[in-house]
Amino acid sequence: MNDLANVILSLVLLSLLFCLGSSRLVALVYIMSFQGFVVSLLPLFLSEKITIGNVTFVLLTILIKGILIPIFIYFAVKKVIVKKELEPIIGYHASIFSGLLIIVVSTLISDKFNLPVNHSNLLLLPTAITTISSGIFLLMARRKAITQVIGYLMMENGIYLVGITLTNHNHYIVEFGVLLDILVGIMIMGIILHNINRTFEDVDTNLLRTLKD
Amino acid sequence: MVELVFLLPLLAGIIVLGLKKYWEFILLFTGLFHFLFTLILWFKPQKPFFNSYFALTSEGLLVLLITSFLFLFISMYSISYLKDVEIGNEQIFIGSMLLFLSAMSAVAVADHIIVMWIAIEATTLASAPLIFIHKSKKSLEATWKYILICSVGIALALLGSFLVALSMNIKGIDVPLSFTELSNIATKLDKKWLKAAFVFILVGYGTKMGLAPMHTWLPDAHSEAPSPASALLSGALLNCAYLAIFKTNKILHLAGIGSFSDRILIVFGLISIFIAATFALKQSDYKRLLAYSSIENMGIIAFGTGIGGIAAYGAILHLIHHSLIKSSLFLTSGNILLAYGTKLIDKVGGAVRLLPKTFVSFFAGFIGIAGFPPFGIFISEFFIIIGAFKKGYYVSVGIFIFSLIVIFAGFSRYLMKMSFDDFDYDIKVGEKITRIFPQYALLLASLVLTFCNINYLNKTILNAIAVFGGIHG
Repeated sequence: MNDLANVILSLVLLSLLFCLGSSRLVALVYIMSFQGFVVSLLPLFLSEKITIGNVTFVLLTILIKGILIPIFIYFAVKKVIVKKELEPIIGYHASIFSGLLIIVVSTLISDKFNLPVNHSNLLLLPTAITTISSGIFLLMARRKAITQVIGYLMMENGIYLVGITLTNHNHYIVEFGVLLDILVGIMIMGIILHNINRTFEDVDTNLLRTLKD
Repeated sequence: MVELVFLLPLLAGIIVLGLKKYWEFILLFTGLFHFLFTLILWFKPQKPFFNSYFALTSEGLLVLLITSFLFLFISMYSISYLKDVEIGNEQIFIGSMLLFLSAMSAVAVADHIIVMWIAIEATTLASAPLIFIHKSKKSLEATWKYILICSVGIALALLGSFLVALSMNIKGIDVPLSFTELSNIATKLDKKWLKAAFVFILVGYGTKMGLAPMHTWLPDAHSEAPSPASALLSGALLNCAYLAIFKTNKILHLAGIGSFSDRILIVFGLISIFIAATFALKQSDYKRLLAYSSIENMGIIAFGTGIGGIAAYGAILHLIHHSLIKSSLFLTSGNILLAYGTKLIDKVGGAVRLLPKTFVSFFAGFIGIAGFPPFGIFISEFFIIIGAFKKGYYVSVGIFIFSLIVIFAGFSRYLMKMSFDDFDYDIKVGEKITRIFPQYALLLASLVLTFCNINYLNKTILNAIAVFGGIHG
């Protein structure tokens, strides 16, 4: 099982690099959908035995992370007309390079942590740290508001990875609440995005700089 | 059935979003019923239905009472305000207010760490439409900043909550992740990871609470939201975020590493007070000025909690009085905005002549928030200063007092300008008694609490701060 889980985690890492290098918004949404799907599958490969509660939760997570949220962002992208992400603050090649650097640093750091989690030969912790950091990186390095939403989503995926690494899996109700909150959050962001686009005729966050001291 | 306290407004909010009329009626009725139910919870504590997720704690009850009391008066004000102002969508505004109340009540009674997180994230989502309601360019920008900064901040708090779980798993303890259970086994928790968890939780919920330097969303959101919404944000929401930090801080104290969290709280508190003082001096917008004052007051509360002992008592007292006075000030600013049609201090003047009744609440509120007697903030700040001296934080208390003086200087200049300047102007919308008595009631509540020693309240505050060494600690 551990090998399979590692394969999945490497897929997550690959999807991160794709995200950092992608210049097309639609492609970015597809990759995020893939990433959400893969991340949701992980609990199945980590738990010792597969129960009904387990499977139901994984299915619900896939529904929210892999299907509903990406569909919502997809429609937001379609409505907002812009297909191409122009003028990133940090260029695509530099972004990919930073992504690689983040992976290396995360691996080094997570070796130091020395967690008593029983799957020690897993890539779980390095992947989680990398996902959170790349999410924050994406948030800061792009000007389009949609990419910021995607960065936030990626960060949430990373935190979700930390969650399944560290906690016992007995509180499905609570974890489901977290997922719902994120879903509603993304929806509200989508609505505001749509309104920003209608009012400013663009979703560049440079336009959102009038309020300051 | 403690859960009713948030299920009822949730239901009311959904009904409002589905109905075609009677919105005001439902808003008022829910506010009233919520307040009555809160009083029942105070005097006759009920058992929660899901007792691993919810519990009644002293600090939670305090926050719940403040929220409920404020909501009652703010909803009365809102009804009158909505009649006078052209707001985009009344239905969504009232519905979101009720959902917001529901989320905040859930924060107050939440006992499970992750349930608390869910509830706090829900407050962000429910209050976003309130800021967004005008759909102007500025309110769009403010809402975008609010949602993005707070969501990212709170995501870090979720990470911190997972680290609390880790500090438990590492020692092989298996209890539910509730604050009650954690307090019982606090000494057994892994200290290193608990410290890391506190840092993440403080940064996360501190963003929501408005502690500098994570405060950047606060002045924008508070100044762009309609006044009743700003009053709710400042008076009730910030307390909810503080409650989460307070409860985590309690766990750290019980685990014996309280000095670590105290030091961080003091530093963040002082930074907030200082930054707010600097920015308040050069404000041109009175709602932004009030927003910076909220940052300052949140800093004072964090500072007092960090010092502990009598200062912690002062911090809780400060929380109560700040909520009452600041909400009344934001409501008053709504009247001024209606009358003058601008938020710029330069274009407001002669309030004493043009809006005499509003002027009384404005002036009294300013005196109260600046820490002058007879209002309670004078006493709470006094307690915090005494506490700091007692523990020998001389440099910190020096910065604290200096910042208070700077803020007072900044405030009084603008107050004089807005109240007494000669001003030739026809006001747009006059005063109405329905838009005045809520402020008077809130200020009166602060006065009553200052002069009457309400035993029950006192005991609850002492209960809440018992961990920090009580009043003599």
